Amino acid sequence: MKILVAVKQVAALDEDFEIRADKKDVEEDFLLYDLNEWDDFSLEEAMKIKESTDTEVEVVVVSVGPDRVDESLRKCLAKGADRAIRVWDDAIEGSDSIVISRILAEVAKKEMPDMVFAGVQSSDQAFSATGISTAAYLNWPHAAVVADLQYKLGSSSAMIRRELEGGMLQEVEINCPAVLTIQLGINKPRYASLRGIKQAAAKPIEEVALSDIGLSAADVGAGSSMSRVRRMYIPAKGRAQMIEGTIAEQATKLIQIINEFKGA
Amino acid sequence: MNNPKEVTRILFENFHPQAIHLFYAFGYASIAVFIYGCYVQIRKYRRGKPDGSWGELLHRFIDMVKTMATHRTLVRRDKSAGRAHGLIFLGFVLLFIGTSTITLEYDIIEPLIGVRFWYGNFYLWFSLVLDLAGLGLIGGLIYMMYRRKWLHLPKLDYKRVDRQLGGADIDRSEYRREDWAFLWSFILIGVTGFILEATRLVWLSGRPSVWDYRIWSPVGALIAHIMKFVGFTPEGAGTLRLGLWWFHGLLSLTFIAFIPYTKIKHIFTAAASLMFKDPLAGRRLPRVPDEQKVAGYKTITDLTWKNLLHLDACTKCGRCQEACPANAVGAPLSPRDVILSLREFANHTLNAKELPKEAELDIHGKDIGQVFMETLWSCRTCLACVEICPVAIEHVPIIVQMRRNLVEAGEMDPLLEKTLQTIHKTGNSFGESKRKRASWVKELPFRIKDARLEPVDFLWFVGDYASFDPRNQKVTQGFARLMKKAGVDFGLLFEGELNAGNDVRRVGEEGLYEYLATANIQSLDDCQFKSIVTTDPHSYNTIRNEYPDFGGTYEIQHYSTVVKKLIEDGRLPLAKKLNYKVTFHDPCHLGRFNKGYDAPRDILKMLGCELVEMGRTKDNSFCCGAGGGRIWIPDPVGIEKPSQNRMKEAAVIEGLQIFVVSCPKDLTMFEDALKTSGYEGKFIVRELIELIDECMEYDFPEKEIAEEKMVVETHSVI
Ligand code: SF4
Ligand code: SF4
Repeated sequence: MKILVAVKQVAALDEDFEIRADKKDVEEDFLLYDLNEWDDFSLEEAMKIKESTDTEVEVVVVSVGPDRVDESLRKCLAKGADRAIRVWDDAIEGSDSIVISRILAEVAKKEMPDMVFAGVQSSDQAFSATGISTAAYLNWPHAAVVADLQYKLGSSSAMIRRELEGGMLQEVEINCPAVLTIQLGINKPRYASLRGIKQAAAKPIEEVALSDIGLSAADVGAGSSMSRVRRMYIPAKGRAQMIEGTIAEQATKLIQIINEFKGA
Repeated sequence: MNNPKEVTRILFENFHPQAIHLFYAFGYASIAVFIYGCYVQIRKYRRGKPDGSWGELLHRFIDMVKTMATHRTLVRRDKSAGRAHGLIFLGFVLLFIGTSTITLEYDIIEPLIGVRFWYGNFYLWFSLVLDLAGLGLIGGLIYMMYRRKWLHLPKLDYKRVDRQLGGADIDRSEYRREDWAFLWSFILIGVTGFILEATRLVWLSGRPSVWDYRIWSPVGALIAHIMKFVGFTPEGAGTLRLGLWWFHGLLSLTFIAFIPYTKIKHIFTAAASLMFKDPLAGRRLPRVPDEQKVAGYKTITDLTWKNLLHLDACTKCGRCQEACPANAVGAPLSPRDVILSLREFANHTLNAKELPKEAELDIHGKDIGQVFMETLWSCRTCLACVEICPVAIEHVPIIVQMRRNLVEAGEMDPLLEKTLQTIHKTGNSFGESKRKRASWVKELPFRIKDARLEPVDFLWFVGDYASFDPRNQKVTQGFARLMKKAGVDFGLLFEGELNAGNDVRRVGEEGLYEYLATANIQSLDDCQFKSIVTTDPHSYNTIRNEYPDFGGTYEIQHYSTVVKKLIEDGRLPLAKKLNYKVTFHDPCHLGRFNKGYDAPRDILKMLGCELVEMGRTKDNSFCCGAGGGRIWIPDPVGIEKPSQNRMKEAAVIEGLQIFVVSCPKDLTMFEDALKTSGYEGKFIVRELIELIDECMEYDFPEKEIAEEKMVVETHSVI
């Protein structure tokens, strides 16, 4: 039995950041990298399955990204993942989430897992598309925003609860293998102690090139993507004003402002 | 004098040879049982991990003898108990030496080489000294009985504080019974010894070599006269003596046999514990070897032999529990309970011939003898327990080692977990950007050197709270002004500084600590400076005591020492005197950890303040509750916080105006506690730096108006 967990190293903004000269991203110096918060939960869900049984369950984490991503993968290994795979080629730079999911799908085809978990979304880009499009490339059943998972090892289906808008839950039976995107709060992710992370350095991180999964530079990158970043900027700040005084005074002031706006 | 050779004590006179053999048989049996007991105990200790405390044995031994001879640690904070114990101790030692002397002559020297020495003057002095020793022993024991029965001391109540009522092992009454059995059997040995002496005198009152010298055993003589007065004949006394002789003898031999199995073993374990005392216990925590798989203590065999020895040395005196701030506010922690739980656990699992299975050795959990997670997380690593323990038990290293294991397993408060992740990510516990670490300098009217770029005399290690907490930044700026005014050449690491790691280490996140410490050491090594100075006692402690283990040995001073010298040297002229009535709270990490009691007090005096001490002061200072990472764990609502408890103590001081602290965390904790404990308006909390700052006249070009304002505020509250 094998579970593939797709993870991402996300960027967080430092205070007082600057936009890159080409205006397409934030200057790298001002970014702090860490494992995507959702991925803590999807990895934990996989680990829970692994630890609930005596049968051999292999948890493999996979990520698409440059060298620096190894740090986040090591954190996953420290939490108990058995193996890590990192796919990279400079040509991948600029790929949108659909292209990334194509890469992940190719890895999944090679690994042949019984389940694929991904986070609902990444905290930096927030596309919420990668997990689901991976399912599309694999042509597997999928469920998004999973808040509860009941899965018996080796069973051909799983019971899940999906979170809908307005606090509603939807209970779904899904055929396996499947791709699930996992929601925050589904479990309590474990802590990866720093010693654990250091010791995980001994576990292997397999570096995979495009050719290893049957892709070429032409299949990836901005050129093969259906969306491209044109510009990144800080929007002009809106104005806000506190209206003070009694209710009547406030109302008068408000009417005055509205009239000014209309008149202008 | 009669023939001196005749002036001695008869041994075995009128005894049948069989009776003597029987007595010797008992004697050997008792020694055998004793030796077997010792063997089992030593086997238990040897099941622990190695410990590096073997160095300087002679030095250690001398220290131990000094401590025991003066009873220094026993009379501390409990004079009567200490003195009573002193009497028992002295009595026991002398009587033991006495008995051994007799054995030496009678069983060894005389049969072997035919020499005798136990007669004449030597015998008479011997007899007098032992009589007085016996008297002291009985006096001490009687006081201990009185203390147990009538003083109702909370610290002698062994009821566990870390368990809920109704738990299986809550009342620990077997310890109480053991205490009483010990006291009674010991006192019986003493009393029968004296009566025995008296019966011998009455019995042999016809012999001048005995009766004429009775005054050399005054207690026995007194009883002998009473016996004669009530009509004892020599024959009657002889008969009584025989029965009593056997009773006394067998009781004493049984007592000896019982030593390794009962609390009496503290004679040896306490001595050994004192001998292997680590003066840096808790100040410098043990490293985790890189190759060790899991950090910290999970099973009882993870403890070192020294830890296991400590467990057996505890005499249940309760001084640690009495001093413990966590215990004072009703948290489920008593340092004594931790030690006793583990002792019970060790005796249960490690006394057997075969070691039980690994799973049965787990010391974490809710079963009898296991330590609760809540208990471990309640500790503030303030060292109050280690400081006062009369037998040098080191609780804190054990507690932290156990926490290391909890951290590895992720068993901690979610907020604490978040903070640790934050510190890893940003290098500070506030989760602020590294770039903002020195943002407080912007408001100063002068420039501060970057020690990474140019050499300085003093490298100022600021620490997280002093750097990021807005209230503490005011103090930090104050210290910068003082240094500038005094013309000190100083600089900062700016964003090169990371959290010093003191509290991270005490939480038990050793990996993170190693990361922080090595990163800081690297930054420090890249700078040129003569000494480090800091206003943060936590950073002070770890840099001073723990960085050397990681290759960073620096001279470091707490600001109080530096400023005291600057004032004395006239480099910080005091423009005015303060007439405040103040009290001073010793920060754990400055006071108890590093013995920095005097400098802050000296400064207060130089400023003109009237210093009134609180009840718990200096080495008995009461932790504000922030230590050991507890500042990152919310205190349970509804129960008193240690900081509030402290406010209550300060409020007792008539006319108190200022509660002076000298630690950033203290300032935060106590300003908060002042509000929540309802003393706001009665007195205020101030950093010592702020008081010094108040006495200064600055002539920096700008921003003086802001300063004025702060001073005015200070006044208006008072
Ligand atoms: S270190 Fe302080 S809080 Fe911890 S057990 Fe000892 S006295 Fe109590
Ligand atoms: S640990 Fe030390 S201070 Fe605490 S009860 Fe035992 S002997 Fe006394």
